Amino acid sequence: MTRTVRRFVEGLLRGQPTGRARPDDFEAQQMKAAIELRSARLGSDSPREEFVTDLHRRLAGTTEPAPDGTRRRVVVGTGLAAASAAAGLVVGRNLLRPSGAPGPSAQGVLEPNAGAWRAVGASADLSEGGALAFDLGSVRGFVHLAAGKLEAVSGVCTHQGCKLWLDAPEQRLRCPCHSTSFSLQGANVTHQLPIAPAPLPKFQVREANGVIEVYAPTEPA
Amino acid sequence: MYRDNVTWVYRLMFSKVGNQPDAEDLTAEVFMTALRPLRISASIPEVRKYLKMTARTVLASYWGDRMGREVTYIHVDVPEADEQRPVASDAPDKVRSLLERLPDNYRCILELRFLQAFSVREAAAQMGVSVANAKVLQYRALRLAAQTSGEEAP
Repeated sequence: MTRTVRRFVEGLLRGQPTGRARPDDFEAQQMKAAIELRSARLGSDSPREEFVTDLHRRLAGTTEPAPDGTRRRVVVGTGLAAASAAAGLVVGRNLLRPSGAPGPSAQGVLEPNAGAWRAVGASADLSEGGALAFDLGSVRGFVHLAAGKLEAVSGVCTHQGCKLWLDAPEQRLRCPCHSTSFSLQGANVTHQLPIAPAPLPKFQVREANGVIEVYAPTEPA
Repeated sequence: MYRDNVTWVYRLMFSKVGNQPDAEDLTAEVFMTALRPLRISASIPEVRKYLKMTARTVLASYWGDRMGREVTYIHVDVPEADEQRPVASDAPDKVRSLLERLPDNYRCILELRFLQAFSVREAAAQMGVSVANAKVLQYRALRLAAQTSGEEAP
């Protein structure tokens, strides 16, 4: 019994989602046998009513008519190329969970021709996992702590410039216009567009005497 | 369209991944993916076929991501009628015949752990062996089960 199989079977019997591994032929065969055994358990293969209802609601949410009268194109991302191509749309698993896959274009750092360090808040206001919104007039964005390090990204959607809002419980920056969402790091997480929008530009950010400062363009004279 | 199909799609996925969170994610993904093409007026068999093809692709992508290979896959040639039955597939029958071909203690440990949801400790007590022994039995039994069902596969 290999560790790969053991870990898989233990997770399976606890009802946990399957983790990543690289099984060989025989290990995969054992996993398959374990899945067959587990799914033969009586009464365990009916969907939860909450799940059925919730998915129904999510599906209804994605099928409202778009403002131009056409139906929205739904979901998008990376992954799933085959079925999607056949169906004429691009779809991905990252509507459901962050994939961590690299975005379509590189994430730039905002480097204005003329800029200055501007205070956006107190370090004490920011906790690990939280985020702080700021609006400096010329730019707006969100700053957060990642493993004790400050990071700041633009708060403007890279698709058509709508103002992003902070969905704190989900740790997402959401666009009110087209269901696009970004991680706090600025990577695109979900969208419904033909092409994934670019990641959010980053700001240079630092802490000085308990104050968080972002390098932002100076106001026009 | 959704209510008529969500149960069999979920059951199909559950039978291929064996756990609820992944089965729910994959089911959601199938419907999210299939949504737009299905809005055009399609007959019931067409809808089912499309959902199934989508399910196959979604499952293949899932296994590719998790394991780098397809641990289980969806046969497209399974007759449609099979999925309308309350039980998603012939899995229980297949498992029963598989178990019948195993030695008694192997069959017993697999039944207790996988089918009856006993913990290792409970299963060990039930069988009158030590916990360590039960673990070893379980893994040897699974190996043999995998070999046995592998030989049977076409």
